[in-house]
Amino acid sequence: MSDSTPKPSSSVKLVLLGEAAVGKSSLVLRFVNNDFQENKEPTIGAAFLTQKCSLPTRTIKFEIWDTAGQERFASLAPMYYRNAQAALVVYDVTKPSSLTKAKHWVAELQRQASPGIVIALVGNKLDLTNDGSGDTEADTERDTGAGGDDAGENQEEQEDNTPGDARKVSTREASTYAEEESLLFYETSAKTGLNVVDVFTAIANAIPESSLKSGRGAGAGTGQTTLGGGRSTDDSRVNLGDRGAATAKEGCAC
Amino acid sequence: MESLTETQWDVTISGTGIPQSLLALALSRSGKKVLHVDRNSVYGGPDAALSLQEAEDWVSTVNQESTHLPFEEASIFAAPVSESTSRLSSSRSYTLALSPQLIYSRSQLVPTLVSSRVYRQLEFQAVGSWWVYKPTTGESKGLYRVPSSREDVFADDFISMKSKRTLMRFLRHLQSQLKKETEEGDGSVVEDEDLAKPFSEYLTSKFQVPPELYEALGSLSLSQVSPQTTAASYAVPRLQRHLASIGVFGPGFGSVLVKWGGGSEISQVGCRALAVGGGVYVLNSGVDSLKHDEQPGEDSRIYMQLTSGETITSKYVVGSNWDLPAAAGVRCDYDRVSRSITIVSSSLDGLFPITAEGGPIPAGAVVVFPSASLGLTDVSPPVYITVHSSETAECPSGQSVLYGSVNLPGQQGQSLIADAIDKLLASNAGPDARVLWSLRYTQLGRAVEGDTPANVVSGNLVRFPPPSLDLAFDDSVIDLVKDAWIRIMGDESSPDHFMKFEDRESYDDEE
Repeated sequence: MSDSTPKPSSSVKLVLLGEAAVGKSSLVLRFVNNDFQENKEPTIGAAFLTQKCSLPTRTIKFEIWDTAGQERFASLAPMYYRNAQAALVVYDVTKPSSLTKAKHWVAELQRQASPGIVIALVGNKLDLTNDGSGDTEADTERDTGAGGDDAGENQEEQEDNTPGDARKVSTREASTYAEEESLLFYETSAKTGLNVVDVFTAIANAIPESSLKSGRGAGAGTGQTTLGGGRSTDDSRVNLGDRGAATAKEGCAC
Repeated sequence: MESLTETQWDVTISGTGIPQSLLALALSRSGKKVLHVDRNSVYGGPDAALSLQEAEDWVSTVNQESTHLPFEEASIFAAPVSESTSRLSSSRSYTLALSPQLIYSRSQLVPTLVSSRVYRQLEFQAVGSWWVYKPTTGESKGLYRVPSSREDVFADDFISMKSKRTLMRFLRHLQSQLKKETEEGDGSVVEDEDLAKPFSEYLTSKFQVPPELYEALGSLSLSQVSPQTTAASYAVPRLQRHLASIGVFGPGFGSVLVKWGGGSEISQVGCRALAVGGGVYVLNSGVDSLKHDEQPGEDSRIYMQLTSGETITSKYVVGSNWDLPAAAGVRCDYDRVSRSITIVSSSLDGLFPITAEGGPIPAGAVVVFPSASLGLTDVSPPVYITVHSSETAECPSGQSVLYGSVNLPGQQGQSLIADAIDKLLASNAGPDARVLWSLRYTQLGRAVEGDTPANVVSGNLVRFPPPSLDLAFDDSVIDLVKDAWIRIMGDESSPDHFMKFEDRESYDDEE
């Protein structure tokens, strides 16, 4: 907190995708404002928010594009995921169709987005399941496959569906899929805040250093030597901000 | 949610090129119901930036239905894989701009992007050096770096002392004129009857500038015709713009480009702003036909059939000739230039020196091949190659993207550009440097010289004029967008509020 020299800071463009009403905006609201609204209005079009995430060696500034899940024409997402370094694909653990939609988004990202994009699959509304009630250590348990249960999937789903548990998508089903597609995977509750910050921190950690420095070009090379070695985005970036504002007002800044 | 058909749209914008997208930005907080459609599957229209795969699809679209894009005669050349060890990367490692443009620091686009707050979502990079190809100057590898400041002139070891003196005198004259115009404050150009002459004659008769400097000075004006055929009235103000832009955003450069594909990024930030403001976006859907209300009046509407089959109505419709059905009885004549996008297996580092102490590493450079250096007469047009380094994120590191342009359509123009690229690689890249891939096309638009363009308005239908073929961003776009915006907003907003927005979220500007 009291670092004398500021850590290097990098911007990361992140896009949220997923079916309507899975809680995309609520996840962002929890992450950005640590707040939650019951019965939130659906997002119209899109929303833009920013939040910083402090890592031991650098600060990541997320530029978050939250898209409307109700979007009917599949035309909004392409203007956000192009050049995005990270994507958060959200489904609702109580709604199997939302995982199907999430898989479509993952496929589209893999087909169309930047080659090095970091994708996190997030099952939200964990508070509606038994896992979400007070058990904040769910993480490690999930990784070992819902408590070492070796029964078939049907049985497991039945087990998940104990009274009061609205879960319809098993942790194992989603985590297996995430593993196959090399996605980060978390189950979260925007309502209680469970795992929300963890998702963003994991994404921040997963962004390759090269993509923070010089965009996607660096990671996508063909193994040739980098003749322009040592160049970084910071060296070539031109700041329009202050001077630009002065130009707008004064008409002369030189 | 209402369907497209049930909604009474206030405004329908067709096409997502820069003018339409800037209009989207201008309307993003107007409260109007805006539908924004594009018949293409990517954003940007003529300003789009494409991956290799998208470029292939684009070529077939252009060649099959050229009436919907201001391009013709597109083709792709790819080097055989076995030919070289350095190879193309995956399709999406590339973001290739169809209409790359330099943005001068003094361009009206800059204050527009700043006051509308979208500049925060864009990353700008410097365009550093201008080079002129001189086959005779062996020691400097064929490329001569054009001096564009007094310091440059002093440091130049190519031109003679006498030439330096005349050049200094000319630069001083331009600067003093600029100063005068700024002081008078009315933006009026100082009267100079010599400006009616050709640029070359103006330089010599008025300032005794020797012919060896014609091409260098012409290149700074980005004139697409030879110095002998460029009017001084065209070149001189553009030279002044070049000089006045240097240093505005940092030492040693006067123009910038936008990282990740240039105009396509500007177009997308405009569209994103309107999406956040509630605009509805539909790709893969264009306006197939339209008709006006039979009784024109205050509440008259325009009825449109979309390519998706839906019928919609809108009070205002805005687009370009390529995004809207042809207007009956209006003949469109366009100017044509040859353009190409070439990926080469060399980072061409020598073209991007830091141009002043403390300046950024440039990501762009301009290389001009005078017609004579390509075996043509003095009055033929020069070839411009705008080189983008991998810092622009348009290609992987170790490669660069060469954007070629010459004011000659068809095969003749394309072979001139190819010749220029061969010469550039032969003189400035290692022996292994190769052309890995190139996209060649003819681009249609409006010649750079000529009358101030105006929107074509019929009732509540506004057509933007054809895009400028200028290599620098054409400031008249801002006026055209503002004109369309004023028509739509009417009394609801003062013209002074055009593109002036508060930040939507708090920012700390310490970074």
